[in-house]
Amino acid sequence: MDRRSFVKAGCIGSASLLMQGLDPMMRADAAPKATPPIELQGLSDYKPSPLGMPGLFPGRVVAVRKSNAIVRNRVSQPIVRQMLEHSMKELTGEKSVQAAWAKFVEPNDIVGIKINPSGAPACCSSPEVIREIISAVQSVGVPSRNIVVYDRYSYEIDIGSYQALLPPGIRIVGIQEAFSGTAGYEPKIYCSAEFFGEWETRSYMASIVAHELTKIINVPTMKDHSASGVTGSLKNLAYGTFNNVARTHRAPYSFTNPLIGLMCTVEPLRSKAVLHIMDGMRQVWHGGPLTQVQNFIDQTGILLVATDPVALDTIELDAIEKKRRERGAPSLWQHDPNSITSDNDVFCHDASKNLFFRQPGHIAAAGKLGLGVADLEQIDYLLLSA
Amino acid sequence: MTPTAKPEAPGDWPTLLKDNARTGGQGLHQAKSPEGAVWQFRTGSSVRSAPVLEDGVLYVASVNGVLHAIDAVTGALKWKFQAAAQIHSTPSLSENRVLFGCDDGRVCAIDRRSGEKLWEAPTGAEVWASPVVRNGVAFFGSADAKVHAVDSASGETRWVQDLGGRIYSTIYADQHSLSLGCGDGKVYSLEASTGKILWSTPTGNGIDSSPAVADGLLLIGSEDFFLYALKAATGEVRWKYETGLGISSSPAVAGDLAVVGSKDGFLYAFDTQAGRLRWKTLVGEVVTAPPVIGDGVVCIQAEGTFALDSATGNVVWRAALAGTVQSVPVLAGDIVYLASLSGEVYALR
Repeated sequence: MDRRSFVKAGCIGSASLLMQGLDPMMRADAAPKATPPIELQGLSDYKPSPLGMPGLFPGRVVAVRKSNAIVRNRVSQPIVRQMLEHSMKELTGEKSVQAAWAKFVEPNDIVGIKINPSGAPACCSSPEVIREIISAVQSVGVPSRNIVVYDRYSYEIDIGSYQALLPPGIRIVGIQEAFSGTAGYEPKIYCSAEFFGEWETRSYMASIVAHELTKIINVPTMKDHSASGVTGSLKNLAYGTFNNVARTHRAPYSFTNPLIGLMCTVEPLRSKAVLHIMDGMRQVWHGGPLTQVQNFIDQTGILLVATDPVALDTIELDAIEKKRRERGAPSLWQHDPNSITSDNDVFCHDASKNLFFRQPGHIAAAGKLGLGVADLEQIDYLLLSA
Repeated sequence: MTPTAKPEAPGDWPTLLKDNARTGGQGLHQAKSPEGAVWQFRTGSSVRSAPVLEDGVLYVASVNGVLHAIDAVTGALKWKFQAAAQIHSTPSLSENRVLFGCDDGRVCAIDRRSGEKLWEAPTGAEVWASPVVRNGVAFFGSADAKVHAVDSASGETRWVQDLGGRIYSTIYADQHSLSLGCGDGKVYSLEASTGKILWSTPTGNGIDSSPAVADGLLLIGSEDFFLYALKAATGEVRWKYETGLGISSSPAVAGDLAVVGSKDGFLYAFDTQAGRLRWKTLVGEVVTAPPVIGDGVVCIQAEGTFALDSATGNVVWRAALAGTVQSVPVLAGDIVYLASLSGEVYALR
C-alpha cells in the first residue's frame, strides 16, 4: 500500500464514530450537556460522485506562498493567477492548467463558487482570487451564465462589493436576504437536532445547492472562529449551505463539533463540493469570523488547494495555532473558563478572551466521518514559496 | 454653503439623491438631536437603498420588490407597488414618476399618485444603480455592463453603450455629458445625446461608488482605497487620497466640503478643490453608504446613525438604530427619516 492508498483507506468512516465524544482536550468544567441526537436527511436516491469529499486527492494539500501577493492590503491579481495555476498543476499532476481544471469541471456543469464574505471587507474571499477561479472555469468551456458566485447572506456580499468586482455575465446570489426564514431552502433536506431548547430544530439545505448547482468550488478564508476554533473549508460549506445554524452555539458552549462535519456528509453537498481553494491572502488569528481589527489580521499571501477539506483545515488550524503562539495568545484548544467573556467588545480587542469554548475538534471529527485526513503526519503537504 | 448640481429643468434628477449633497432635493437642513420617534413603519423586508421624500410622501423600496409610498406626517401607507423582482436601487423622482431598477434587469416608472406602473425598460442584468433624469431622458447603468438611455416619459430606448464591467454606480448627468464609475475600474464620461465615450480614466480596482460633479471637478471612490478628484472635462487626475480600505460610499459635496465614507470605518472630509483632509472620524467598523450634508452637519448611517459637525467632524449625536449598507438619512427640517437594513423606517424628531 503506497502512501496515497493508505491515506484514502483511512478516510473511510461513519457517523457513529463521531458521536463517541467531543474534543479530548475539553475540561470537565467546560463540558456542555451531551450532544443530542442529530438526524440527517439528504437527497434521497442521490448517487454519490467519486469527485465528492474527500475527492480525487485525499490527504493532499498544495500551498503557494508569495510575499508580494498582498501588499498594503491589496491583492495582486497577476500574482494570484500564477499561484493558482502553479498550485492546481501540482495538486493534479497535470502539465496544463486547463487539464488540471478539467479534472473537476466539465463544460455542461453549473458551477457554484462558494465564497466567504463574512468578515468583509477586512478578511473575506478576495475578489482577485474569485476572478481567477471564474476565468479558469470559463477556460474549461463553462459559459458565464452557468457560473454562480454565492453565499448565504446577500448583505455580506454587498459589503464585499463582489457585484461590482466580478465580471459581467456570471450570477451572484445571496441565498437569503434577512436573518431568518426558509425561502431559498429545500424542506426535504435537513439536519435536525435540539441543542439549547430552540423552537426550530431543523437546518435546511439551500435549494441552489440541492438542485441547481452540479459542482461547487469552495473558497474559504483562513480565520479563527470564536465557536468552531477555525472557519475553513468545512465550516464555509456547512454553515454556508444550511440555514438556522447560529442556534448551535449558546455562550459559552457550541455544538459546531459535530454538526459541521455531519452537514458536510449530507448529499448532494458532499458529492458536489469537488475542490477547495483556501484564500490565505489574509490570516485572522483572533476575533474571527467577523473581526475588522487589523492587529489580528496578518497579510500572509498564501493560497492552498485541495480536494480534501479535512486535510486543508488541519493545515489551517496548525497555521492559526502557530500564529497565536507567536503572538502570545492562548491555544484554540484551551477551554479555561477564566478565558470566557460575555462582553463582545472585550473579545474583539483581547486575544486572551473568547465567547465560547472553541471546538477545533470538528475537523478531526469530520475526518472520522470519512471526509478526509486529519492527522498532520498523514497529510501530503506541499508548500511552494517564491 | 448650498448644494450644487441644481437641476436645470423641471423633472431633472441628475445624480444619486438628486444633488451633490445627497439631500434628495431637501436643501441643507440642520439635524437636531432627535428625542424620539414620531412614527415607525415596518416594510417586512430588508431595505438596501435610500428613501426619498417629496410633497409629503416618503418613497422606500424594500428588497422584496415592494415600493412603499408612506405619508411623511403620519407614517401611514398611501400605496405600495409590487415589482416582479428584488429592488436594490434607490428611487428617483421625475415629474409624476418614481423610477427605480430591479434585479430582473427592468427599470420601472410608477405613477406617484396612484402607484400604477407607467412603463418598464428592460436591460440584460440587475439594475442596482438609481436612474437619473436630465432633459427628459432617464439614464442608468446595469450589471449587463451597459449604460442605457430611455425616454423618461415612455421608457423607449434612445441608445445603449457597452462598457467594460458591471455597473452599480449611479450616473451624474450634466447638460451634455454623463459620468459614472464601472466595475472594470474606470471612470467614464459619455456624451449624453449619443452615449459615445468621451474619456475614461483607470483606477486600481472596480468602482461601485457614484460620482459627484462640482465646479469642474468629478469626485468618486474606488475599491482601490482611493478617493479620486478628476477634471470633469478631461478625466485628468487632479488629486487623490488614500483611505484604509475600499470606497463604495459615494461622496457628498456642498461648497468646498467633500465627504465620503470608507470601508475602514472612517468618514473623511476634504477641501473639494485642494484635496486637503479637513478631518476624519471613526463612525463604525465599515462604512459603505453615502453621507448626506446638512446645515453645519454631516449625517451617515453605518451600524447606527451619526450626525457630525461638518467643520470639525466631532460627533454631535448618534442613534443606535438604522444600521445599513446603502441607506442615507433624509434631513427634512425638524424630522430625520431613516431606513434600516432590517426593514424598519423611522421618522425621528
